[in-house]
Amino acid sequence: MSAVAAKPQAGGAMNPTAMGVGVVMLLIILALCWYVSPTVGLMALIGIIIGGVLIGFGTHFVPVGGAPAAMGQAPGIATGVAMLAAGAGLAGLFGGAWAAEQGLMVATITGGVGGGLMMAITCMMVNFVYVFGMGIPSASGKVAKDPITGDTQAEYKSQGTEGHGLPFVSFVGGVIGGFLGGAGGTLIYLQLLTLYEATLPAVMRLPATQVLPIAVAMAGIFAVGLFLVNAVLTAYNITGTIEGPHDPKFKRWPRAIVASAVASALCGFVAILIVAI
Amino acid sequence: MSVKVEVIEGGIPHQKIMIAGLVSTLVCLYLTYLNVLTNTQMFSFFGGLAVVTALIWGSHTIKVLCSYGIGTGVPSAGMIAFGSGVIAMLLATKFGAAAPIAALVLAAVIGFILGYISNNILNMKIPAMVQALTEMAVVGALSLMGFAALITGGFTFETLTTGTVSLFGMSVSSSQISFIGGGLIAVAFLLGAIAIQHPFNATLGPGWKQDRMLMLTAECGFLSMIMAAIMSFALISTGAALLSLIVGIIGWAYTYNQYICLSKRDAAAWLDAKMIPEVEGH
Repeated sequence: MSAVAAKPQAGGAMNPTAMGVGVVMLLIILALCWYVSPTVGLMALIGIIIGGVLIGFGTHFVPVGGAPAAMGQAPGIATGVAMLAAGAGLAGLFGGAWAAEQGLMVATITGGVGGGLMMAITCMMVNFVYVFGMGIPSASGKVAKDPITGDTQAEYKSQGTEGHGLPFVSFVGGVIGGFLGGAGGTLIYLQLLTLYEATLPAVMRLPATQVLPIAVAMAGIFAVGLFLVNAVLTAYNITGTIEGPHDPKFKRWPRAIVASAVASALCGFVAILIVAI
Repeated sequence: MSVKVEVIEGGIPHQKIMIAGLVSTLVCLYLTYLNVLTNTQMFSFFGGLAVVTALIWGSHTIKVLCSYGIGTGVPSAGMIAFGSGVIAMLLATKFGAAAPIAALVLAAVIGFILGYISNNILNMKIPAMVQALTEMAVVGALSLMGFAALITGGFTFETLTTGTVSLFGMSVSSSQISFIGGGLIAVAFLLGAIAIQHPFNATLGPGWKQDRMLMLTAECGFLSMIMAAIMSFALISTGAALLSLIVGIIGWAYTYNQYICLSKRDAAAWLDAKMIPEVEGH
């Protein structure tokens, strides 16, 4: 089979059996978590799963161009899905971690704003480089009209390309994606931090003030690990480039939701086991 | 069904590299346990060697996986390796002396499930996916454990979370000065994640040669080891840290030299360009 013939098959088909197996795995992990830590642990795990799903869903909004975008032959930001998701999510995570003492809601939204801001700045600077540096206009190759502004795209699109630059809808998608990713990362961090602050003093037999650096660092590194796992799984779902919420590939999100939920449940369960056994 | 873009021509088969990498990493990790038996910290540098061997195995796994066009870039493979590895490694440290074995088993389970998720739920349908993600999670967990052993001299949860700080001449136990509490684990995470994905990313293409890539991996591994050895001055005795640093520098110099030789061998032509001469009177 040649590479050309194989290309269309990497499509968006769902695999119902595997999805079912995924949901069953999720329920088994939840049951195991209820068995080892019925109250604190289970609540934390549910928060972690919600956070992971937010990351997985949010990544689909981010306009990822990859190498073709660097040559001005495809729309989006010229790097990979995992790098962009990690950048937005970690920026959000750092923002949210500063606000950790102000309660769950404030901190999560702060994290979201941090991630959204990072993506907004990235998208703006990318467009500066595209328009003023490379001299190309922004045009989408996937839709005839921008779904938000209604501007037609075809006149600005160079022949032989899939579009170029960062159309308005991709910009908005990037900011939404950054917001969801940052909020999800912060949610995971906060859940683990609350859990570790409550349980680590008893596990390590140390006073709470002594344990605080350990709790913060462990929650942080687990949040980073979970974030990268979710971001890469979503990257595998997108396989390459996506323009934003108007791209046909966006319709693959249900697969990513199940995948992120199972992966976050698994990794979150392992993170909870540290203090539960 | 994706198509394999490149094939491995000649060289050592992957199975052999995997077994050799796994065994030598575990042996090196257990050699750091001599620290506990002899009550010194002089054997910490074996942790760095464990990192190098694990990375060599891991970069070849990335080569096997990324030979199929996964379309997400090679760095993402390094990120998922360490993202899933750190989670397994932290839980495994709770198992005391059995930590390396526990890390191996836990990481294999996590990696296998992640492989199933990507191959079946996300419909990647890549034949090497499940095995590659399993291997990479193990590599991530074992190399982080190697960094932990190199920096702190041990791989148990107690060693990684407690340190001593001298206050007015007295040594006080503090969790702030430790591998996890001080955030050194985050640096180790990225030192490993970059070292594992860089070699294949840098050498891929039609002129790819296995020995050149693996030599570059060893070079990246020793470079990471030098960094980690510098960090270890904060946590272990100066003599042990110095020993790790010297081993790292010697290993790096040797592998760098070898890598340059291999690059010259594989290059079409080698021109020793001189610096642009500075002409007076401008």
